[in-house]
Amino acid sequence: MDSFISTFHIDWKIIIAQAINFIIVFLVLYFLAIKPLKKIMSERTETIEKGLNDAKENALVIENSRKEYEKVINDARAEAHVIFQEGKKEAEAKKAQILEDAKVQVEGMIASGKKTLENEKARMVDEAKTEIVSLVVKATEKLLEQTADSKLDEKLAKQVKDIK
Amino acid sequence: MSTTINNSNQYNENLENPSVEAFTTESTENTHEEISHEATLYAEPIAHFGSFTVTNALFTSWIVVLIIIVISIAIRLKIKKVPKGMQNLFEMIIDGATNLCNQVTNDERVTRKAFPIVFAVFMFVLINNWMGIVPLGGLGLIEMTEHGKAFIPLIRSGTADINGTLPLAILSVLGANLFGVFSIGLWKTFNKYVNLKALGGIFTKIRKDPMVLLTAPIMVFVSALELIGEFAKIASLSFRLFGNVFAGEVLLASMAALIAYLLPTPFLLLEVMVGVIQAFIFAILTLVYYTIASQDHDEEHDEKDHAEKLAGAH
Repeated sequence: MDSFISTFHIDWKIIIAQAINFIIVFLVLYFLAIKPLKKIMSERTETIEKGLNDAKENALVIENSRKEYEKVINDARAEAHVIFQEGKKEAEAKKAQILEDAKVQVEGMIASGKKTLENEKARMVDEAKTEIVSLVVKATEKLLEQTADSKLDEKLAKQVKDIK
Repeated sequence: MSTTINNSNQYNENLENPSVEAFTTESTENTHEEISHEATLYAEPIAHFGSFTVTNALFTSWIVVLIIIVISIAIRLKIKKVPKGMQNLFEMIIDGATNLCNQVTNDERVTRKAFPIVFAVFMFVLINNWMGIVPLGGLGLIEMTEHGKAFIPLIRSGTADINGTLPLAILSVLGANLFGVFSIGLWKTFNKYVNLKALGGIFTKIRKDPMVLLTAPIMVFVSALELIGEFAKIASLSFRLFGNVFAGEVLLASMAALIAYLLPTPFLLLEVMVGVIQAFIFAILTLVYYTIASQDHDEEHDEKDHAEKLAGAH
């Protein structure tokens, strides 16, 4: 044993010093490098896993939203189509009604116009007759060159009217 | 330049007469008196603080500690959640090493506890191994010995000295046993080496199984062998590392003595690899000891017995 110790110069003080060196290395590496690195790596792993899960959930939410959007759009389209058809029908009915009303109104207007024309014609005829009578009387007076009395005038005028 | 291994009592003389003459480089070889460059089996003393002798191997270990402290502080200061540059490399190393440890232990719980120690062992041994081949061999002291002037290099790998590898091996084996105590309990760890359980079994099981008279002494003997094995582990770990690293340094010195240029280059590369491999072997063996210490063999036997009983019942 002694020769072994003297051959290799085994010195317990150096052995303790080297052991302390290793313990320092272990503590320094553990507290300054391994522990913080492991902590940050596990945190990153958690963040990535959370990110992936969130992305999956978001994709699901987006897919659901897309489906809902498509459903809403399709419903809206269908509803719009129905509303359009109803509107079209209603508009056509209204159009027919308006046309009918207009026709009636036009017919009324035509009838009233006709009536007015006839009345005007009758009035004009009367006026013309009166004027003609007056003219005839005057012409007759002139022809006869005599002044008839008023009774004769009226009698003549009546006769002329009755001619018609 | 002689490369003979000197195992004389020169060390003791150096302790008594530390006459440091000058810092020198290899160019001082051609002075009026020839200076011997001997690769000694032990680390040479370079300074004294009272009764404490600082050897070149210890000095190199201090440099290694300093390097590791600087690297660790740099990591701590630069660490960010989004890694950049060197942090990527360190994370890759830590992640790769953890995966490797998991493959060895097959148990993430054991890996989590043993990894920091195993990684520290690896780094300490690796940088120490590499420090032995850095081109600073010319930096040293010239001391007077009984054989004349001798060159003492300031840098010598801490693992090229048995005083450097022995504490590492002791801490590894001791640490593994402590880990065993915390993992499976003091009683079970103690019974691995002094099998009182088997001895007690002679009295409790003899009626059921008379063969216990034969098996119990064998088990006690085997456990005693386990105890011897723990010392063998210390010896094998420390001498393997010391032998390899020291042999590498001697090999390099021999090659440089033959032809100083180009010839040592492939051997330098070889030593870089040897440095990594030896550090890896030391670290992996430490991890294996930790794994073995954390396993309860009795539990396995109990499980087997239970399974056999169940099979018998069916």
